[in-house]
Amino acid sequence: MSVSNDQDIPASGAAGLAGVAAREATGGGRRVRRFSADLSAVGEPALWAFGGALALGIILISGFLFMIAWNGMTTFWPKPIEQVELRDGTVLAGVATRGGPYRVGEDVLLTLDDAQRAEIEGELGIASRTLYKTANFDLYGDDFRWVSDFEVASLSQPDDFWYFERQVWGVFIGRIAGLTVGGEPREMDRALLAREHTAARERFAQMRRLEQREIGAINHRIERERLAQRRAVLRHGEGSPQSQAAIEAAQASIAELQAEFQTLQAQVNEIRATDRQYRIQMEEVGGRVVDIELSQIVRLFPSNDLSLGQKIGIYFSRWWEFISTEPREANTQGGVLPAIFGTVAMTLLMVVFVAPFGVITALYLREYAKQGRITSLVRISVNNLAGVPSIVYGVFGLGFFAYTMGGSIDQLFYAENLPNPTFGKGGILWASLTLALLTVPVVIVATEEALSAVPRSMREGSLACGASKWQTIRYIVLPKAMPGIMTGMILAMARGAGEVAPLMLVGVVKLAPALPIDGFYPFVHLDRSFMHLGFHIFDVGFQSRNSEAGKPMVFVTTLLLLALIVTMNATAIIIRNRLKRKYADGQF
Amino acid sequence: MTDTAQVSAGDSNEARSERRRLRSLDTRRSVVWGEKIARGVITVGGLMVIVAVFGIMIFLFRVVSPLLSSGEVLGETTYRAPVSGQVLWVNGDEFQTMGISVDDGGEALVFHIPTGTEIARQDMGFDATATAVSGTIGRDQIAVGFEDGSVRFASLAVSATATRPAQLPSDLQRLSDRDRTSGGRVFTQVQTGDFRTLSAEITVGEPEQISERPIVAVDYRTGGTAERPTISFATVDADNIVRVSRSRIQRNMMTGEETVRTSTVELPALPLEGDVQVTDLLLSGSADRAIVGTSDGRLHRYDLRNIDAPILAESLRATPDGVAISALTFLGGEQSLVVGGSDGSLGIWFRIQRAGARGTDGFELVQSRSHQAMPAAVIDLTEAQRDKSFAATDMDGNVWLVHSTSDQVLFEFARSTAEGQPSPAQSMIFPRGDGILLMSETGAVEAWQFRANHAEVTLRVLFGQIWYEGYGGPEYIWQSTAGTDLAEPKYSLVPLVFGTFKAAFYAMLFAAPIALMAAIYTSEFVDRRVRATVKPMMEMMESLPTVVLGFVAALVLAPLVEEWIGAVLLGFFALPTGLMLGAFLWQMLPVQQALRFDGFPKFVLMAVTIIVTAWVAYNLGTPFEWLLFYGDFKAWTTGRIGTGTPFMFLILLPVSYLALGWTFRRTLGHHWRALIGDRDRAQAGRLDVLRWLAMLAAAMLLSFALASMLTLIGYDPRGGFIDSYQQRNALVVGFVMAFAVIPNIYTLAEDALNAVPGHLRAASLACGATPWQTAILVVLPTAMSGVFSAVMMGFGRAVGETMIVVMAAGNTPIMEWNIFSGLRTLSANIAIELPEAVKDGTNYRVLFLAALTLFIMTFVINTLAELIRQRFRKRAFQL
Repeated sequence: MSVSNDQDIPASGAAGLAGVAAREATGGGRRVRRFSADLSAVGEPALWAFGGALALGIILISGFLFMIAWNGMTTFWPKPIEQVELRDGTVLAGVATRGGPYRVGEDVLLTLDDAQRAEIEGELGIASRTLYKTANFDLYGDDFRWVSDFEVASLSQPDDFWYFERQVWGVFIGRIAGLTVGGEPREMDRALLAREHTAARERFAQMRRLEQREIGAINHRIERERLAQRRAVLRHGEGSPQSQAAIEAAQASIAELQAEFQTLQAQVNEIRATDRQYRIQMEEVGGRVVDIELSQIVRLFPSNDLSLGQKIGIYFSRWWEFISTEPREANTQGGVLPAIFGTVAMTLLMVVFVAPFGVITALYLREYAKQGRITSLVRISVNNLAGVPSIVYGVFGLGFFAYTMGGSIDQLFYAENLPNPTFGKGGILWASLTLALLTVPVVIVATEEALSAVPRSMREGSLACGASKWQTIRYIVLPKAMPGIMTGMILAMARGAGEVAPLMLVGVVKLAPALPIDGFYPFVHLDRSFMHLGFHIFDVGFQSRNSEAGKPMVFVTTLLLLALIVTMNATAIIIRNRLKRKYADGQF
Repeated sequence: MTDTAQVSAGDSNEARSERRRLRSLDTRRSVVWGEKIARGVITVGGLMVIVAVFGIMIFLFRVVSPLLSSGEVLGETTYRAPVSGQVLWVNGDEFQTMGISVDDGGEALVFHIPTGTEIARQDMGFDATATAVSGTIGRDQIAVGFEDGSVRFASLAVSATATRPAQLPSDLQRLSDRDRTSGGRVFTQVQTGDFRTLSAEITVGEPEQISERPIVAVDYRTGGTAERPTISFATVDADNIVRVSRSRIQRNMMTGEETVRTSTVELPALPLEGDVQVTDLLLSGSADRAIVGTSDGRLHRYDLRNIDAPILAESLRATPDGVAISALTFLGGEQSLVVGGSDGSLGIWFRIQRAGARGTDGFELVQSRSHQAMPAAVIDLTEAQRDKSFAATDMDGNVWLVHSTSDQVLFEFARSTAEGQPSPAQSMIFPRGDGILLMSETGAVEAWQFRANHAEVTLRVLFGQIWYEGYGGPEYIWQSTAGTDLAEPKYSLVPLVFGTFKAAFYAMLFAAPIALMAAIYTSEFVDRRVRATVKPMMEMMESLPTVVLGFVAALVLAPLVEEWIGAVLLGFFALPTGLMLGAFLWQMLPVQQALRFDGFPKFVLMAVTIIVTAWVAYNLGTPFEWLLFYGDFKAWTTGRIGTGTPFMFLILLPVSYLALGWTFRRTLGHHWRALIGDRDRAQAGRLDVLRWLAMLAAAMLLSFALASMLTLIGYDPRGGFIDSYQQRNALVVGFVMAFAVIPNIYTLAEDALNAVPGHLRAASLACGATPWQTAILVVLPTAMSGVFSAVMMGFGRAVGETMIVVMAAGNTPIMEWNIFSGLRTLSANIAIELPEAVKDGTNYRVLFLAALTLFIMTFVINTLAELIRQRFRKRAFQL
């Protein structure tokens, strides 16, 4: 018993063992049975269960992040096209996407020959298979095909297979059967193809600009004239001289705009006529030929005949397309620019609302309100509001902001548009207000914590020097608490950016034709619906025609969203840790 | 300062310095104002946010409250319409403006409903006295039965068009403040400025001879398509002979001429005794069944699916002895039959299909509910056109509007007693369900306007069992929308609340043990560096957007789990077993090695053990499935193959193991400790691993024996908490939701454990307790309330989680604990249905109620947890 445990408080299970061992060692010749290894006191199995739980948590989260990152990062890497010849003579070409063992169904087993069946039964009915992206949806009616290993007769990677990413109908996989340049059939020639493709894409961009920007602007102006007419009628009554005058003026300018529209349309038609002369003939593996305009192909490359540099080029050009263009093919192809824009705009707008209110409330609770039973009750409530399900806020946002407040705004200011709602439906303003309400407890709690962490001595010093309360708060407390407040703000942003459920009720849509900010007066349209990365994931994964086709897109979008949120959180955590250190050192 | 020194005059010097002192004490005005403004803004702003936050609850309450409010009566009108004969039928338009009555002499009167002013009159040219009239559900197509046994069709339509103000006729006569009339039309100005123009179109068809005797009851239905309408009607004549006739109208494409072909079938005779009379008759829209009510209180149901061979499917007594059936009607949709008795009773009957049914066609009529009885005999029943309510009139002059599904009397009106005893009357509910028009035989008209607020919802509908149309008995059902307008909306929140708790329960089943064990380990057994990296990582996990988790759950995990269900099941047992094995092997290490590799290397070893075990489970999944579930777990769950033994064996395995362990410790534990205490660590470890293996084997035997015994008794878990497998199920949801909840519980529990003062630990260790004993016997009990509140907060989060459930739970609102079936939670239901719900409609408000329920539930859970946590904190600081 002479042993004294002069270590610090042991932090690990082995310290107990150490004690036991030490006692055994110093017991010398006088071995005392009581002090020897009592295994049940160490609780090793339970320790392993506890440690295992922690390890499991960490393995799960790392595995999860790794899976998202791996799938997201590899999506855009060009993969080889395989030509698969099946035992029944079918030939198909596609990109292997994933595979693995599976249980072979009874009906399939019956179609196999004895040797194969015996082999599969030897594996307890398990065989392996691969999912090929055969693309050519317009010809096959499906994008994917499972191929079991026992079906395959031979595999090859012919160099002349090309991978075409089309504007519509998704990907095409096949050979190039011919080119038409300026209406003349030409021999296939890569340099020529590259040159003509660039030119065709330029024409495409030009047509698009004319159609979307210029003609869109005219439509917008026509709509405004129409609304002006209606406003005049509503204000002055039908048939009154003022409204007649307004209608005439509007009709005149509409006629003018129509003429302008005609000229633009003619231009577009002219370009389109030229464009039709530059075509490509693509031949799928079964021999059917599809003939389309070159401009309809976003990107094309011979998958099996690429150098590493070219692959890297394609990889990055796809990433660039992803973050800089609009989606196409029911969101399963193209980019997510509007969703990124919507997410960022909504989150920033939310911060504009949540920052002042959150900070003011925290200041009130911490500095101005009398500390008592009521304040602590309020504090508990605010704290618990952080735990109220987000969907409840969505319901409130829809009922109160969109229908009640928005409905009144429409009656007062946008009567000419009724019964079409302007603010009386979900929109970016209501969405960010809803999320502001959702995240305000986070900011309040964080700000309160930061305020209470400011040492009392500093406040007292300031007050003793003659500063008023507000001056103390303004010049001493707030600057000192600022990093903590920022942490709360960033956490709120991270939470806001990741929420989807309430947004589904207050204004997120799968495809927003117009961004909330554009070149038309009044430039910022807070009433507009918007796209959101989180909702994009939900939509593409669950509501597109083929969730398998959308899956790569979902993974990339997920990666983007996660990167956004993890960055924000990591920033917040770093700021917080630095802050803690600062306060630990810098006490008065 | 130099200035002051140079001042010579003492007096002025003092005064000046005095002034200066005062001035320097003056606070600058801007500071004072700044202070005031800041205080004002902050107080107002702070209070505003707090008010706003509570405003949420108040707003939700306000939206929900009209659900349970009763309706309001808006007005009542009474007058006598100038009819010449006995009124047999009345119809009114949906704007409650124009009414048409038909009397027994064949005169149709068009009148203005609010005032009773005659608008037009038309003779329909009847050859005989009309004795019975019936109409389609829209009441504008009628069949009239005559004394001479013939039947004629007529149309009493009111058509609505719009007229521009400029085109109004000049000879308008004022009817009321709102309405004008001219030339048999009624003009009403509407919001757009145009005039709604109503006009009556009355046409009569040719007579069809059905019987030799007077027709006493008739029912008339239309069906078929617009191009080829079929009309059918059933008649009863004075000899109680029931006939069903079907007419097919064929339109000649060239001439536009219509030819009507009618075929009449006489139904099998009714088994009537003595002077029993047929009192009412009903025909279904597709003319596949007819129901006859008699004065001895019996219902007779004909099956007419084969019109050439009609059968009398069943006859039963629907009212007590001596009580006649005095009125019959179908509710909208023709699923429910309302039976009014001469004692005032109002019964609802369903025709349901079940094995051993009374009817010869496999169906039988069952009474699903009986409404509050009227004071006197029911003389007239009329159904609403757009919902499941009906109006009932009794002999004493009471007119009730009853909503059948919610089983409540919405309004009780009384006819005016100015004419003495009220005479028989025709009543109708206006198409929009906002008024009743009642016209007595003598032409006395009474009309009531009302607004029935969400009549289909009562507390019983929301939280109780209701016997809905088409079901075999009362059930909790959520089905707010259906394919047709006439389907009954079913608003029971119980399946949703059940789904919410089911999801949360399975999530907590995974989350609580893992999170708590991980928290204890982090707080008590790892050193500070590991903790500093592990904790932020778990916190990061907390902020993962749930939409991402939902996507992974539904599109990645659910198919994988379905494919590898054997491996997953095995994994649940393999992981703990693998860790145990690791622990017992570790015990065999000599002390020096055990000490050297303690800490981080040991933790890594645990992680490796988990990965290895998972890999082993993955590879052994199929053999495992063969061994226990005949190679196909999913087929096994449906109950088609095998017995319940293997699954019960798995379930009972941990239970038996724990029971054996406990018994061992209580009985032989002392001896065992004495036995291994003598040896060195490695040797003791070897013995202990043998003991463990023996116990494991014993537990397996025990559990197998118990499971077999249960099977022998006849217990099979399938059909209970195990049932057929769906891809998106509670297992996947629970697992992924646990992923979202673990960080919550973990962080809070770890904070609570960490807040236990160090001197307690130090004291415990100093007394010779091992860290394990300290953690379990000292730290955990102290932190218990904090840990408990952490679990509650986690539960609160699981209850409100939306996206994971929307995406991965299949969203079927069913009530079963089956871990392999889907579910629908309150939150998912809101997310799915609210975007489509009509503002201020019933579904909209019910969904708000769901939100309010969620809000209150989580608020209560969180507040309780918070209070417990605060109490714990106070205690921890006192220690």
